[in-house]
Amino acid sequence: MRLIDILQSALRGVTSNKLRSVLTLLGVLIGVASVILLMAVGNGSAAKIRAAITSLGTNTITVRANGGSSTTGSSAITLAVSKQLEAAGLGHVTNVVPQATTSLTVSSAGASEDAISIIGTSADYFTVSTATVASGSAFTADDVASAAKVAVIGSTLATELFPSASALGQSISIDGTPFTVVGILATQSSVGFTDPNTEVIAPISRIQRSYTGFGAVSSLLVQAKDSDSVTAAEGEVTVELNQLLGVSSTAATSASASGSGRTSGLASQVSATSPFTVTDQSSLLQTQAESADSFTALLAAVAAISLLVGGIGVTNVMLVTVTERTREIGIRKALGATRGAILGQFLAEAATLTLVGGILGVIIALVLAQYPFNGTQPVVIGYSIPLALGVSVAIGVFFGVYPAARAAGMRPIQALRSI
Amino acid sequence: MSTAILDSAPTGVLELRGIHQLYGTGDAQVHALRGIDLSVAAGEYLAIMGPSGSGKSTLMNLLGCLDVASSGKYSLAGHDVNEMDEKALARVRNKEIGFIFQSFNLVNRMTAVANAELPLVYGGVRRLERRQRALEALEMVNLSHRADHLPQALSGGQQQRVAIARALVTNPTLLLADEPTGNLDSESTHEILAIFDQLAAAGRTIVIITHEEEVAARAHRVLSISDGLIVSDRTNPRRTLR
Repeated sequence: MRLIDILQSALRGVTSNKLRSVLTLLGVLIGVASVILLMAVGNGSAAKIRAAITSLGTNTITVRANGGSSTTGSSAITLAVSKQLEAAGLGHVTNVVPQATTSLTVSSAGASEDAISIIGTSADYFTVSTATVASGSAFTADDVASAAKVAVIGSTLATELFPSASALGQSISIDGTPFTVVGILATQSSVGFTDPNTEVIAPISRIQRSYTGFGAVSSLLVQAKDSDSVTAAEGEVTVELNQLLGVSSTAATSASASGSGRTSGLASQVSATSPFTVTDQSSLLQTQAESADSFTALLAAVAAISLLVGGIGVTNVMLVTVTERTREIGIRKALGATRGAILGQFLAEAATLTLVGGILGVIIALVLAQYPFNGTQPVVIGYSIPLALGVSVAIGVFFGVYPAARAAGMRPIQALRSI
Repeated sequence: MSTAILDSAPTGVLELRGIHQLYGTGDAQVHALRGIDLSVAAGEYLAIMGPSGSGKSTLMNLLGCLDVASSGKYSLAGHDVNEMDEKALARVRNKEIGFIFQSFNLVNRMTAVANAELPLVYGGVRRLERRQRALEALEMVNLSHRADHLPQALSGGQQQRVAIARALVTNPTLLLADEPTGNLDSESTHEILAIFDQLAAAGRTIVIITHEEEVAARAHRVLSISDGLIVSDRTNPRRTLR
């Protein structure tokens, strides 16, 4: 029997019962499409978190004062403590940037925005954090020394305050005090609860003088040498700060979260006795990324089940088809069909059904992956396409051919006698 | 009548020696054939008769290479069937035997001409030649005008004619018919028997299994089987071979 005849015969088999073929096709199609799509959605959300981690910078540590910026007394982290910490010459630490934050109304001549996050910091902020100045320039160490009334603002805030012209060089008013906009930040991806694109960054000396006072700062942003030395830097910072603030070593141990091997999330719970908490910025997001990965795995498992169900559908159809057609197999064998020819026919039939269904499923999945799902842009994983297609075709072909192989192995006379 | 065919096959196209057929095991064992010796010459028109359970269907299945005997020797057109594997048997069925069944056994979703083509498909014949030969075979049974009809659109007699065309299309050594008129009314029966007469006159070797005297009366030679043995083998006086 020639190949073209096998294919033609298979096509006739597929088209002779259209409803059944369409239902089988649909089963495979949905299975394949859901595997690819669900894995793409999981991958998309994981990719989103990975992008967020990168934008945060993986080599920064945040030291947060417990009890907020109003903490006073010997255990408060002040600007002086920050300078001492930087001067301590810790091996894994390259920079210590103090942050005094507050939330105020910012207005221009034509617009006003409430509850804008104001960050008072040093000039090193722009090298330590991932914030980059897109236009204009950052304020300098001289500006900090002279407590200049200059500010670098987020891109969204810039367009909100100055919708028709560039904000650069314009004057804004922060709670009544005029500041000059010297730089505008590049647009950043939003991480956590605050939108970095609506922030105002100004010299810490000016912010303390005008708004927060010269007591404790809100937090310190510590830059480790590289992402591998983050843990070591955390330990050094904790020990040094404990000394500077005169905290007992037991409290220090519980505060030194990463040093004692605990996660940063746990540290914030157990460190109530310590005046500060050290968190490694990326660890929380790392956890999020892990949960996104397990989310992907969960979705893949659900999708695999739907693929399996689709495969069982194909199996069912092929079983019924073969049983119904045992007599036909007998006729064909009596007319000289070999076992191989019969097998070839059913193989081609099952392969046609599952391949057409599978390819349609891939196309539909690729089209649907263009649209965001619940705010997440699905990212199709390359290997999911051959995987889904391969599994569905394998299931269809195996279960299509297995009963056919049994029927083809019968003596023609047995097959002819059936029904 | 071609004497050339007869001369070239002096020992007969079908040779059966000591054929036994057993089914089942133990107490349920059935001895369907108990030693059949038979020789059929080329161009013979043989009818095999016998009541139900006599073993005639078993014999037909053996003759058609649809089944293999438990013991004994069967050769068809010089091929030793006992020695053959599954693939070779399929090839013999395809090239040497044309089947005609009581229940027609057409593939329902294929047209008359596609059904008639089917043995050629398995014989590896090219599409155009296949179509041509199938149409010629349908012409032989006067059915070329219904070539594109599906079996369910044809009468019983017409379906059986399609089956005869399908049996003839490979130009086989042996035409093997199992109760070919069993499912037909008398008019169609006459139609079909007339076709067999024509084929016999043209020198075809035909073996027909039947329990109808009317059918057997047309054959050159009538064999009676009972309890797995040949009980009579007579030449039909009205229709001798030569």
